Amino acid sequence: MEAVARRKAAAYVCLSCTRQFQRHIRRQYHNAAPRPDIYDVVCVGGGPAGLSLLTALRANPVTSHLRVALVEAQDLSKVKSWKLPPSKYSNRCSSLTPTSAFYLDQIGAWEHLDQTRVQPYHEMQVWDGVTDARIEFDWAPGSALVEGTTIAYMNENLNLTSGLLKRLEQLGGVSVFEGAKVENITFGEETEDLDLRQWPVVHISGGKQLTARLLVGADGANSPVRAFAGIDAKGWDYNRHGVVATLEMEGEGWGGEHTKIAYQRFLPTGPVAMLPMPGKYSTLVWSTTPENASILKSLSPKDFVAMVNAAFRLSPVDLAFMHTQGANQDYEYSWRLQHTSFNPRAIPQTVVGVQEGTIASFPLKMRHADTYIGERVALVGDAAHTIHPLAGQGLNQGQGDVQSLAKTIEHAVTHGQDIGSIMSLESYVSERYTANHVLLGVVDKLHKLYSAESGPLVPLRSLGLNAVNALGPLKSFFMKQAAGSGTKLF
Amino acid sequence: MLPPSPLRQLAPTIARRVRNPRTIARLASTPQCFAPVTESPSVRTQRWHSNHNDSRPPSSSSVNPDEISHFNALAATWWDPHGSSRALHLMNPLRHDFIQTCRSSSPTSSFTVLTEDSGDELPSSSPDAPTYSTTANVQKLRYLDIGCGGGIFAESAARLPTTESVLAIDPSPGVLAIARSHAKKDPSLSPKLTYLSSTIESLPTLKPEAVEKKFDVVSCFEVIEHVDHPALFLDHVAKFVKPGGWLVMSTIARTWTSWFTTNFMAEDVLGIVPKGTHDWNKYINEYELRGYFEETEEKRRFWGQPRAMGVVYVPGLGWKEVPGSEKVGNYFLGVQRLASEDA
Ligand SMILES: Cc1cc2nc3c(=O)[nH]c(=O)nc-3n(C[C@H](O)[C@H](O)[C@H](O)COP(=O)(O)OP(=O)(O)OC[C@H]3O[C@@H](n4cnc5c(N)ncnc54)[C@H](O)[C@@H]3O)c2cc1C
Repeated sequence: MEAVARRKAAAYVCLSCTRQFQRHIRRQYHNAAPRPDIYDVVCVGGGPAGLSLLTALRANPVTSHLRVALVEAQDLSKVKSWKLPPSKYSNRCSSLTPTSAFYLDQIGAWEHLDQTRVQPYHEMQVWDGVTDARIEFDWAPGSALVEGTTIAYMNENLNLTSGLLKRLEQLGGVSVFEGAKVENITFGEETEDLDLRQWPVVHISGGKQLTARLLVGADGANSPVRAFAGIDAKGWDYNRHGVVATLEMEGEGWGGEHTKIAYQRFLPTGPVAMLPMPGKYSTLVWSTTPENASILKSLSPKDFVAMVNAAFRLSPVDLAFMHTQGANQDYEYSWRLQHTSFNPRAIPQTVVGVQEGTIASFPLKMRHADTYIGERVALVGDAAHTIHPLAGQGLNQGQGDVQSLAKTIEHAVTHGQDIGSIMSLESYVSERYTANHVLLGVVDKLHKLYSAESGPLVPLRSLGLNAVNALGPLKSFFMKQAAGSGTKLF
Repeated sequence: MLPPSPLRQLAPTIARRVRNPRTIARLASTPQCFAPVTESPSVRTQRWHSNHNDSRPPSSSSVNPDEISHFNALAATWWDPHGSSRALHLMNPLRHDFIQTCRSSSPTSSFTVLTEDSGDELPSSSPDAPTYSTTANVQKLRYLDIGCGGGIFAESAARLPTTESVLAIDPSPGVLAIARSHAKKDPSLSPKLTYLSSTIESLPTLKPEAVEKKFDVVSCFEVIEHVDHPALFLDHVAKFVKPGGWLVMSTIARTWTSWFTTNFMAEDVLGIVPKGTHDWNKYINEYELRGYFEETEEKRRFWGQPRAMGVVYVPGLGWKEVPGSEKVGNYFLGVQRLASEDA
């Protein structure tokens, strides 16, 4: 009896017996009192960060013997079988840097993404809506990276999570508890020959309890794991919402299908960005005041399209006025456009339609957890940090976290360390914390710098953007940072 | 909290050393005990310690009671990641790296690790990770950890998928109690890890024919500098090493640098460590330790060429291998047992 209990309790077990990707909650209860069901890693959250981490651990022969579980509130079978026709795109898209794409390829997930829905882009046009100062982020001749080099890949989050789930299914060996909400997290108990008082026990809906050597919080911005670990997240709300939508354009873009361009204009209310998707489609991320966001969401498709076109063309004053109108922005836009001069080639092509049901908004905030680790706890992705979307870095930071944590766990396994101990996890924090903090700070400052309509900062920033544009090497540095190929500063 | 400094990091190592009143007295009265490190090889075997002419006869145990009580006092903070044993925790991964280097240097190590045979689990595009077999068809290793303390190395060795068992011994009951209660916190350890309150001398000697009961890896980390008669101690230890197995040690060289950092600065100037906590005269230089394994024809038939690795604590980065530093400070020494006849 004791031998059985011990074997059961030994956490580093061969997974050959649990190799199948398990959809159903396994019943492990026996008639007697439940014995602790011990996993090496319990990951709460099956978003991009959590799924990447589990894939990385399963794909690596050093860590593939670990017993791992995933707890996700949503129904993952829907995510896995997610499919849309080529004329429809989800409104939750993220830009993946080449570094993230390379990592996803290393762990064998990239090929499971529907490649016809992934859109690389090669140029970035960024300008200041108040002063019109501009940086053209294309690859200058003679720069280390040749023209046509991909800055980043636009991709629907669901294409990524669906691809990761397919890869995980191929790898097997994950106990998946889906449609299962974390209801409580407590600590284990002490028995005669076991002391689990420092081991987190995850209680999920349905009554199941999972004991974790390492509990990973990949559970998003409102992380229950972070709350359990007593880790504070500091930051502020921007009093801004991000309005997203899938747009249909008049054409494939000024550069045709092979040179796609991302656009971002800084407006006093926040940046508005249009990012290319395959064919004639683009995705919109417009950061604006909560009031403007609700106005935009209430407009007819025709008027919404007019507002988006106006956002890239008209003056901030005209745009502000158009927000005060109850309707007929379409008419107002055509009239005002005749009185505005601009270079049509320097701005996105005209938007001709918006895909039904894709206009949505979400509040923007900046949060950074005080640390990413505790005894037997590690946080990754949005659970550790939430960033303003203007730099398109949220998901990529999470991928950086995952890569670092997976490496940390690998090192711990090969050196016999307890993967849940602070001692093993320290290198993860030291590798990621400062990097994330610098990026959060830079993006936060950019937002604040460009959120002022007048005042001493405005001439300064026009000088800033023009100066950056003139200084080739500096610009190429910024671009490499955006593409994640530069010196590992961020 | 103190800022990280090499001295602070050295403190735990220092703190483990023996309080030996006789040594303190000698330290105070005989300046020549800070012997030049360039002594001639011909005298090295007798002059491992300045107290070699100690009138005390070789005892049946390599450790004295002062030492045991000293370690008992340290027990409480052994597993605190920010406590006084932090430097030992930080050094632990290097011990495994060193063992790995030793074992992979010899084709006759009792088995060769690092083959991957589970084809179906190995993805075509797997990360560029070192291959690491966890499958049962490779022979797993038996470890003996002498002077295991709170079990930092013993636990980590037991956790390795390539380990069959770890026998960890230490004469300090207080420290072993800490080791045992800490091991209870990890359910994966109990099937593989056994603690025993014992010195190497009182461990029942294994018969020459009981080869399979001997150990693939015998470790004495930060131990040899506590021992009054290192040569006798090593003679004992040798009996437990399997032919083809490795004896691995770590200690500190007896040099001006180590005297300055561990004796003078840590004790006299900074007072991080109680005065007289450690006995610099017991430190052993790398060439002296190496000499033991090479001194006679018989020894050279029994042991392979010793391998050394010097390590230096770099503030903010932890311990780093620095070639050549085995001559001045902390170092590892590993030696493989070749012959099959008993010592
Ligand atoms: C509406 C919205 C739009 C966004 N748009 C963009 C964009 O356009 N570009 C961009 O770069 N970034 C965008 N972001 C940010 C980006 O989506 C995140 O950075 C990224 O999704 C973070 O991934 P994650 O895996 O860390 O967390 P998430 O994707 O938030 O995943 C967390 C997972 O944990 C699960 N979970 C949470 N609590 C529990 C619980 N108690 N029990 C069980 N499961 C739980 C959730 O169901 C969820 O699946 C957006 C974020 C939001 C909220």
